[in-house]
Amino acid sequence: MSAPELVRLTIDGKDVQVPKGTGLVEAAMSAGTEIPVFCYEPRLGAPIGACRMCLVEVEGMPKLQAGCTLTAQDGMVVKTARTSAQAATGQNATLEFILVNHPLDCPVCDKGGECPLQDLTFRYGPGKTRMSFEKLTFEKPIPISPTISLDRERCILCYRCTRFSETVSEDGQLVAKNRGAMSVISTFDDEPYTGPFTGNVTELCPVGALLPTQYRHKARPWEINAVPTVCGLCPVGCNTWVDVREEKAMRVRSRNHPEIDEGWICDKGRFAFTHLRSADRVVDPIMRVRRRGFEPVSWDAALDRATELLQAAHGRVVVALSGSETVEQAYALARLVRGGTGSHQAMLPEEVTGALDAYRAPLSSIADAKKIAVLGDVPLTESAPIVDLWVKKARRNGAEIVTEGDADVLIWSGPGGRGGLRVAQLAEQAGATAAFYVPATSNARGIADAWAAASDEEATEAESIGLLLVSGDEAANDPNVRALAERADAVIVVSMFHGLAAGWADLVLPGTSYLERDGTIVNMEGRLQRLRRTVQPPCPDELEWISQLAARAGVDVAPYATAVFAEVSAKVYGGISFGEIGERAPLRGYADAPTHVEAPAAPEPPSNGGGLKLVCYKPLFSGPAVERVQELQFQRPQAEAELSADDAKRHGIANGADVTLTSGDHSVTLRARVNKKLRPGIVRVAREHAGGLQGDVELSTPVTA
Amino acid sequence: MSVYDEIAAQYPSTKSAVLPALRVAQEKYGHLTREAFEEVADALDLTPAYCMSVASFYDMFHLEPVGEHTIEVCTNVCCGLVNAQPVLEAFERELGVTVGHTTDDGAITLRAVECLGGCSTPTIVAVDHVYKQSVTPADVPAIVEELRGNQG
Amino acid sequence: METRVEVAEGPALVLRGYEGEPLRDLDSYRAVGGYAQIAKARAMTPQEVTQEIIDSNLRGRGGAFFPTGRKASFIPSPDKVAKPIYITVNADESEPGTFKDREIMLKVPHRLLEGCLIAAHAIQSKHVFIYIRGEYGEEYRVLEAARKEAAAAGLLGDVTITIHRGAGAYICGEETALLESLEGKRGQPRSKPPFPALQGLYAAPTLINNVESITNMPIVLEVGAAEYAQIGAPPNSTGTRLFCLSGNVAKPGVYEAPHGITVRHLIYDIGGGIPNGELKAVMVGGSSFPVMIPSELDTQLDADSLGQKGLFIGSGVVCAIDDRTCIVQFALRVAQFYMHESCGKCTPCRVGTRWLVQHLRAIESGKATEADFDTVLDICDRIIGKCLCVLGDSAAMPVASCITKFRDEFRAHISHGGCPFGEDSSLAHLFAPVDQHAHTPVPQELSVERT
Ligand SMILES: Cc1cc2nc3c(=O)[nH]c(=O)nc-3n(C[C@H](O)[C@H](O)[C@H](O)COP(=O)(O)O)c2cc1C
Ligand code: SF4
Ligand code: FES
Repeated sequence: MSAPELVRLTIDGKDVQVPKGTGLVEAAMSAGTEIPVFCYEPRLGAPIGACRMCLVEVEGMPKLQAGCTLTAQDGMVVKTARTSAQAATGQNATLEFILVNHPLDCPVCDKGGECPLQDLTFRYGPGKTRMSFEKLTFEKPIPISPTISLDRERCILCYRCTRFSETVSEDGQLVAKNRGAMSVISTFDDEPYTGPFTGNVTELCPVGALLPTQYRHKARPWEINAVPTVCGLCPVGCNTWVDVREEKAMRVRSRNHPEIDEGWICDKGRFAFTHLRSADRVVDPIMRVRRRGFEPVSWDAALDRATELLQAAHGRVVVALSGSETVEQAYALARLVRGGTGSHQAMLPEEVTGALDAYRAPLSSIADAKKIAVLGDVPLTESAPIVDLWVKKARRNGAEIVTEGDADVLIWSGPGGRGGLRVAQLAEQAGATAAFYVPATSNARGIADAWAAASDEEATEAESIGLLLVSGDEAANDPNVRALAERADAVIVVSMFHGLAAGWADLVLPGTSYLERDGTIVNMEGRLQRLRRTVQPPCPDELEWISQLAARAGVDVAPYATAVFAEVSAKVYGGISFGEIGERAPLRGYADAPTHVEAPAAPEPPSNGGGLKLVCYKPLFSGPAVERVQELQFQRPQAEAELSADDAKRHGIANGADVTLTSGDHSVTLRARVNKKLRPGIVRVAREHAGGLQGDVELSTPVTA
Repeated sequence: MSVYDEIAAQYPSTKSAVLPALRVAQEKYGHLTREAFEEVADALDLTPAYCMSVASFYDMFHLEPVGEHTIEVCTNVCCGLVNAQPVLEAFERELGVTVGHTTDDGAITLRAVECLGGCSTPTIVAVDHVYKQSVTPADVPAIVEELRGNQG
Repeated sequence: METRVEVAEGPALVLRGYEGEPLRDLDSYRAVGGYAQIAKARAMTPQEVTQEIIDSNLRGRGGAFFPTGRKASFIPSPDKVAKPIYITVNADESEPGTFKDREIMLKVPHRLLEGCLIAAHAIQSKHVFIYIRGEYGEEYRVLEAARKEAAAAGLLGDVTITIHRGAGAYICGEETALLESLEGKRGQPRSKPPFPALQGLYAAPTLINNVESITNMPIVLEVGAAEYAQIGAPPNSTGTRLFCLSGNVAKPGVYEAPHGITVRHLIYDIGGGIPNGELKAVMVGGSSFPVMIPSELDTQLDADSLGQKGLFIGSGVVCAIDDRTCIVQFALRVAQFYMHESCGKCTPCRVGTRWLVQHLRAIESGKATEADFDTVLDICDRIIGKCLCVLGDSAAMPVASCITKFRDEFRAHISHGGCPFGEDSSLAHLFAPVDQHAHTPVPQELSVERT
C-alpha cells in the first residue's frame, strides 16, 4: 500500500498535515485542538451538520461553517473558538439555545458527570441563562422499551439515535416525529423498540435523554470502576467495559475494538449481566444425601464426595462441556480427568477445527468485501449479531450479499458447517479471501485447543458411563446431556442456577459467570482474547476447586489462570504470555496454515420425505442467562414459523396466518411469517417454539374446531 | 398491480412514493391510522415508524381523527391585514368549535393554516382543499350551510 | 373575487399572449407562438442554449436571485457522470405574500413546460420533476392536464416530466429540503457542500429552479439574450417580474412589470393606493426579509437598489401595511410562522424561533421591559448566519427590522401595558397554527408567564 496523500492546512495558526480526506474535526484533534460536537458521529454515516456546536471560521467563507461537515483541504485556514471571536460567539450561542429548553435536572440525571452537554457548557457555554419563560415540557421519562427510557425534555435532537436506527442497525424503528420545536424522538404507536442492537442508542445519546433502565439512579460515574473485558455470550467476543460499583456490576458498555465490534454491542451482551444476581444462584455445594434429598455441604465434604465419585468411575468419566468455559478451565478439567482418572472422553457442544485458519481475517474486513455469501440459514442476528452489522455496512458500501454460491467472503451461520470443515472446502472452491464459521458457543475453538493441549492420546469410547461431569449451565441445559445422565452411574453438575442443577445430580458445585472469571477465550475469528474478573463470584471459581481435586488425584494444576494459560500457551499458542495478549487483542496470524483440508463427505441429514427442511435455531435472546433477566423477556422470539415467499404462495399461506408444522408424530401450530429474504425449501423456527419437530416438516393449515 | 406500486413505478426510488402513497391511504382511511401506516409501509418496503415519521412532518397529513370535511382558514399576515381573524371567528361561532377541533357530529374540522398563496383575494379559505377567495365573515354561514347540505 | 392578473407595464414576457383568457390548452398556447422556442433550442447545442441564458442575465425568481445560466453551467456534462441528470422545478410557492407561480401554472402552464424542456436540453437532462405544494389542487390538475396534452402531442421528446405534490411544509421550498422531500423523507435541508449541481436528487447532478425562472427561458430565446438583457434594470436585474401586490391596497394582484419600477409606483399608481388610512410599512420580497418604511418608498424594485437599503427583492412580494396595524403583532405573527415552519433539524432555528415568539408575545401584552428589546435583537443576531439553511435568518431579519425601525411603537406597548391599538389593530388576536392541534404531542399554547 502506498503512503496516503497529505494535505496541509492551518488551524488556529498551527500548521497541520493530515491524509487527504480527513475530516476537519479529526484534523483539528491531531493538532491538539478541540472542535466540540454533538451530532457528529462518523460511525453513523455522512455528517448532518444539525446541532451547530462545531461552528468554526474558515477563511474565504462569509458565514461560520459547521466544522463537522468539512474535510481538510490543502491551504484551508481555520479558526476555532480559541482564536476566533465570531466562532466563540457561535458556539456560545448554540449552547445557549440548547439550554433554553434543556431541564437543569443534572443532579438527578444518570448522565451527570459523563455528559458531553455538561462538559461543553462548562468549556464553551454561557454562565447564566437568559431564558425567563416556561421551557418546553413533555411527559417524562417514558419507556421506549423495558430496557431503555426516553426523556424528551433532555433530548437535544442531535438525531444520533434515529440515524443509528436508520443507517446502522437498519431497523427503522426509532424515528423523529413532528416538526420544528415540537419534534420528538419516538417509536411507532408506542411499540417497544425491539431488536438485537437497541441499547447502543443509550451510549450514542450525548445527553441524559436515552438511558438504560437497569442503571436508573444506580450510581454516579465517579463511583464507578470500569473493568475492561470481553463479552462471553456469543462467538464474536465484543470488547466491553463493565462498570462496577461496590463489587456490583452496574452496567455494560462497548469498548470499541475496531476490528471486532466498531463500538457496537448487542442487547444480550449489554443487558443480560443481571443474571449474576439471579435469585436461584447456587453459592454452596449441594449433595444428595440418601433418603434426605439435597442439602448444602461444606467444600471439604463436597470435594471428598467428588473424589469418591471420580475414583468410583474407574476411568469411565465423561465430561460434558458448555463451550463457554475459559481455555484455562477446559484445560484444567482435561488434566483432572485425563491425568487423574485416565478417562479421555469429553462431550463438546461441537467439534470446531482449525480448518479455516488459512482464511482468517478480522471481522472488519467484511465491510470492504465486494461479494459476501451468508450461508447456513440461521440469521447472524441470532448467532453472532455484530457480524450482521458488518454485513449491513458492506451492503451500504455497495457489496452484493448472497445466500448461496461463490463470493470473496464466506460466512457460515447454522447447522451443517461441520466445525468449519465444510466452509473451508467452499472457501477453497470459491477462492475466497476470507471465511468465517460461527460456532454454537462462545469459546468452542478455545476449548478444542485446550482439550488437545491436555493430551495427545485418542479418547476411547467407554462402553458405560461411571461419572458424568456436567460443566456449566449450557451443558446442564442441553437435552442430549440430560439423556446421557440417564446412562450414568453418577452425575456431578457445575451450575450457577438451582433451576438447572436441582434433581438430577448427585453433587452440585456452584458455577461462575464469564463476568466473574479470569482467563482467555477464542472468538469466531480465531482471536485469543482476555477475559477479566469484573466482580468476585459468591463462591470459589472453577479453577480453584479443580486444582484441589486434581491435587487429590495426584495431578498438579495451578489454581491461577496466568499459570494455567502459560502451560496451554506453550503447547498451542506459541508461548505468548497473559500479558502479551493485549487489551485490544490483535488477530495473530496463522500464516503457515494449510489451505487445503481433507474432509469426509458430509452425512446427509435424515430426510423423512417431501416437505420443507426445518431450520431450528437457538435465538439470541434465549439461554440460562437471558431467562433470568426479566427486562429482556420482551425480546424473546415470537411463536412464528418463517417461510420464503415462494413456499408461502405454494402452500397458500398468508403472512400472519396460523400454520401447522408436522414431522413424524410431532406437530406444532405457529404464526406464519413470510420472509422475502429467506431461501425457498426451508422453514425457520426458534428452538423454544419447535416442540419435538425434526428433519423435514409438512405444512398444513390448522383445523379450527 | 396495487395503486401503491403504480405510484412507486413513477420514481427511480420506491421511497419517493411515500408522500403520494400516504395521501392515498389518508383518503381511504380518513386519517392516517395504524392500518394506513402498515399498509403503506408494507407496499413500499418501509417500516410503519418511518412512514409515521415522514407523515408527522407535513401539515396535510392527519395522525389524529378529523371530520369528513375540513375548513382551513389562512391566518398569515396578508390575509390577516384584511380580515382573516374575523373570518376565523365567524367559523368558530358557526360551527360551535374552536379552531383546531372537529364538530361533535364529526362532520367538519376547522383549522387555521399558513399562507395558501392567495394573498390578493383575502381571506382565503380552503374547503376540502378547494380555495374560496375573498371570503368575508358574512359568507361564512353559506359556506357551512353548503357543506352540511351536501352531506350523506 | 378572482385574482387580478395583468401586464401592468410592458413588455409582456412571462404573461406574453395572455389577455384575460388562460392559455391552458395546446392550441391556444400554440396560437401565441408556443413551443416554437423548444424547437429553436433543440436546433442549438446545449452549450449555446446555456450561453443564451447566461447572456440574458436571467436571475432566480425564487428568492435568492442567483444567475440562472451560471447555475445551469455548474451541471457536469452527462459523459462525466455515471448518474442521470435531473431537473427539479420549485413550485412549492409558500413564501407569505407570494402567489405568482400559481398564476403561471393556471394561465400559461405550457410556457412552464416549454421552459422545462429548454432547461432539459441545456443541461442534457431527461428527467424533470415539478415539486408543487400540496395545497395547490387546481393548479396541479391544470398543469397535469397540460403535461398530458404536451406528451400526447409528442412535444416532450425523450424527456419525462413528473409532477410531484408536496404535503404542507414551507421548508420544502428550500432547495435541498425539496430534494429530501422528493426522495420520500422528512423535508429537512441538507448541509452544503455538496451542492445539488453535483449531488442533488438521488445524489445525482440536479438543477433546481423556480417556476417563474424556468418560464422565462422560452422568452429569453424568443426575444434573444441581448435584448432581454436590456429589459428592466440592467445589468443585474434584467427582465420583468410578476410582482405580488397584496395587503392594504385598493387593487391587489399579480402584475407583470419590469425590474426597476419603484415601490411607490406599484402601490399607488398600479395598485390604486391605500384605501384606508396611511401606509405604515411594506413587506418587500416576502415575510423573510426586513420591512420597508414609507421613507424608502421610492426605492426601485431591483436587487441593487433594494440591496443599498438592506432590503431584498425575494420572490417579488409587495405587501402594503397600513397604520391600523400593530407592528409588534405583525412581527409576532411573522415569527410564529417561522416557528411553525422550522424543520427542527438545527438548533438555533428550532429553539430560537420559539424563543422569539415567547418574547414577542410578552412584549405585545406589555409583560416585558425595554431591556428585552436588546435581548431579542441579540437572539436574532445569534440566529443569523449560524443555521443550516436561511429559514432561521428569515425569522430573525424581519423581527430585528421591526424593532429597529419601530422602536417607539414597541416602547408604547411597555408603557401602555399592552397593545396601544386595543381591539382596533387589524392583526389583533390573530391566530397562528403554532398553537393548533397539529400532531401529537399537542403544542401547548405558548406561555409568556415568566418562571
Ligand atoms: C426557507 C426557504 C423557502 C423557500 N421557498 C421557496 C419557494 O417556495 N419557491 C421557490 O422557488 N424558492 C424557494 N426558496 C429558494 C430556493 O431555495 C431556491 O433558491 C430556488 O428555488 C432556486 O430557484 P431560482 O434560482 O430559480 O430562484 C426557498 C428558500 C428557503 C431558504
Ligand atoms: S434522544 Fe439523544 S441521541 Fe436522540 S436526538 Fe435526542 S439527544 Fe440526540
Ligand atoms: S457537530 Fe457539527 S453540526 Fe453537530
